[in-house]
Amino acid sequence: MVDCAAMTENSARRPNSALWLGLLLAVLGVLSNGLTFLGFPASIVPWISLVLPVVGLAFVLLGLWRAFAQPTAYKGKIAGTIVAILSLVFLTAAVAYFWGARKLPHSAGAPAVGQRVPDFTLPDSSGQPVSLSQLFAAPPGGVAPKAILLVFYRGYW
Amino acid sequence: MAISVDPADTSANLRTKKGYTFPFLSDPKAEVIRRYDLLHPAGSPEGHDIARPAEFLVDRSGVVRWENFTEDIRVRPRADQLLAAARSLP
Repeated sequence: MVDCAAMTENSARRPNSALWLGLLLAVLGVLSNGLTFLGFPASIVPWISLVLPVVGLAFVLLGLWRAFAQPTAYKGKIAGTIVAILSLVFLTAAVAYFWGARKLPHSAGAPAVGQRVPDFTLPDSSGQPVSLSQLFAAPPGGVAPKAILLVFYRGYW
Repeated sequence: MAISVDPADTSANLRTKKGYTFPFLSDPKAEVIRRYDLLHPAGSPEGHDIARPAEFLVDRSGVVRWENFTEDIRVRPRADQLLAAARSLP
């Protein structure tokens, strides 16, 4: 017959892998916001950046429960508490960034499809004034474009 | 072509660094940005007024044929989406 109690006492407590996996997922969740710069499909990045820290926190809470409810089997009461606080911070940061990245003005007055865009003249990167109509002119030795793509971006890069 | 509130020399640096050949225009007071109703007040990390990201495909008569307004600054149209829109023009 096997003496389970004696075996538990004598064997070392297991490292609390759920804790560290959870923390890793939470960190990866925060880092996932940079995936768009690596050419990753951008449309799923916002959801990955939320799901990873949530799943990470779930693992951390599992690890924390194991450390306190099964202290003879699992290590990590102190580490678990610290990791849990960190994971909460990462999740809060992930949610805050998610909210901020989507807090954009409605731009209801922007030109709609079928409407004519306002003309403008602005300096280019060498300081020369350029108008929208000029952009439709044929470049030297080339063909006039049939359309122009106007890309408005945030700047401050 | 690209428009932002960045001054001409900032755009020139970005353009050279990335090897782009299309024009970059500067709208430091966000006048054109406002005319297009694209202003994002205090939208930069430091709280400066900037443009919200938007793309317009404009034909020779100045009419919008395709546009895109992202709902998340992390998500922008891909090159193949832009090319498909351009190719759909007669």
